[in-house]
Amino acid sequence: MDRNQIIKWLRQPDKMAQKYSLWAIYFCTGCGIIEVPPVITSRWDAERFGVIPVAAPRQANLLLITGYVSIKTLRAIIRTYEQMPEPKYTVGFGSCPINGGMYWESYNTIKHLDKYIPVDGWIAGCMPRPETIFIAITHLWTMIDKGMATGYKKYKGNYKYYRKNQEKILGELDWPPLYPIRD
Amino acid sequence: MERMVIKIIKIILSPLLAFIAGVFFLGLARKITARIHTRYGPPLLQPVIDIIKLFYQKSISHGPMFNLGLILSLAGSIVVVLFLPFARMCPLSTSGGLLVILYIMLFAPLGMALSGGEAANPNISIGISRKLILGLGYELPLLFILLAVMTHYKTISIIKVVEIQQETDWALISYPLFLSGIAYLLILPAILGIRPFDIVSAPQEIASGPMVEYAGKYLALVSIQHAFSLFIGIALFVNLFLGGANNPIIFFFKMLAVFIAGLFVNAVLPRLRIEQAVRYLWRWPTLLAFLGLVAVLIIRR
Repeated sequence: MDRNQIIKWLRQPDKMAQKYSLWAIYFCTGCGIIEVPPVITSRWDAERFGVIPVAAPRQANLLLITGYVSIKTLRAIIRTYEQMPEPKYTVGFGSCPINGGMYWESYNTIKHLDKYIPVDGWIAGCMPRPETIFIAITHLWTMIDKGMATGYKKYKGNYKYYRKNQEKILGELDWPPLYPIRD
Repeated sequence: MERMVIKIIKIILSPLLAFIAGVFFLGLARKITARIHTRYGPPLLQPVIDIIKLFYQKSISHGPMFNLGLILSLAGSIVVVLFLPFARMCPLSTSGGLLVILYIMLFAPLGMALSGGEAANPNISIGISRKLILGLGYELPLLFILLAVMTHYKTISIIKVVEIQQETDWALISYPLFLSGIAYLLILPAILGIRPFDIVSAPQEIASGPMVEYAGKYLALVSIQHAFSLFIGIALFVNLFLGGANNPIIFFFKMLAVFIAGLFVNAVLPRLRIEQAVRYLWRWPTLLAFLGLVAVLIIRR
């Protein structure tokens, strides 16, 4: 911990603590599973940034989606995201969640992840190097500091839009709405 | 009146000291494990940052028993701390001693079991049943060990055990009790819940077991309870077998030595399965503890 930041800690402990303690749930849909283990183990050691992998969505506040998102996985991703306690942040890793990537014409993957859940930041590339996760995390720190990482508020505000998109691709959803839907 | 005020101050101060020591141990555990893995590791204050963050998160409750069980578990740990001498400071030293500790130590796992039962997650049921089976495994040798200590020193008060040890010798290196001391060292990882006995909160198997449904400030309370339970397991050993201390700093360094020895075991060993753990706990530590009790009885005659 930096000694220069003590005043910041006293002024806004919530933001500072959320910055330096991002508990991540790595949602490895396919490709990204190779890039994540070096990040959390000895090679690149994410723990020095306060980032640790956790096993359950209830404990996490960072959702990292690595690789393509098939329609079946999307259901699990939405449920995971809705179970996480606020404030929560999402990062898409790789070009497939951004715009479909090399699965552009595939019949069972989605093209734009941010139509279904809000995404705070993207890491482009196919695949990005593991170090880019740290670039994303430091960037997320700046965004939390400036109050720009407000994906969870966007989800609450525009829940009707997101729910409509989810129902369009998944059919009837078998879980109740997270927030009340107003007309 | 003055004695009353001093007692109240002690009752407030000793859980606070235990909490600080426990949180420091949690931070140190992560740092030292990182260094053994040739990583840089998180800052020493990382558990404090985590707890602050968890208190600012939105939390989800699953019902009244979910809250009350957690409070029972935390309160049980705090009460055990009040009965344990930290150096010479022991607010409730006159009432009960070791026998009371033996009973109240069960509150923490039972509270977690009550709390987790309300959340109705299958991972929690598996974790709780593992916790209670593991408890069954280490309570038997622990009972033998405490019986041996109480019989040898002819007292149930921990303060007196510490005083006698400071006049003569540490129990760990004195003749009839060293068997019990070694048995306690063998079951210490199971009491602390570290590897090879971290079967309760195995994140890779059962998604961190009893903790899986806790979020926000509930998870913060679970972490605080974990810090207390770390303190209790180690402080009991230091008091019973390493002769306690007159000075809080010496006491703290004794605890640190025991904890770092436990960490080295934790960093290199894999996790046991539950039946392997119980088989181990009921074989070697129980045998040693039983032999220790018999030796104490023979010496006394």
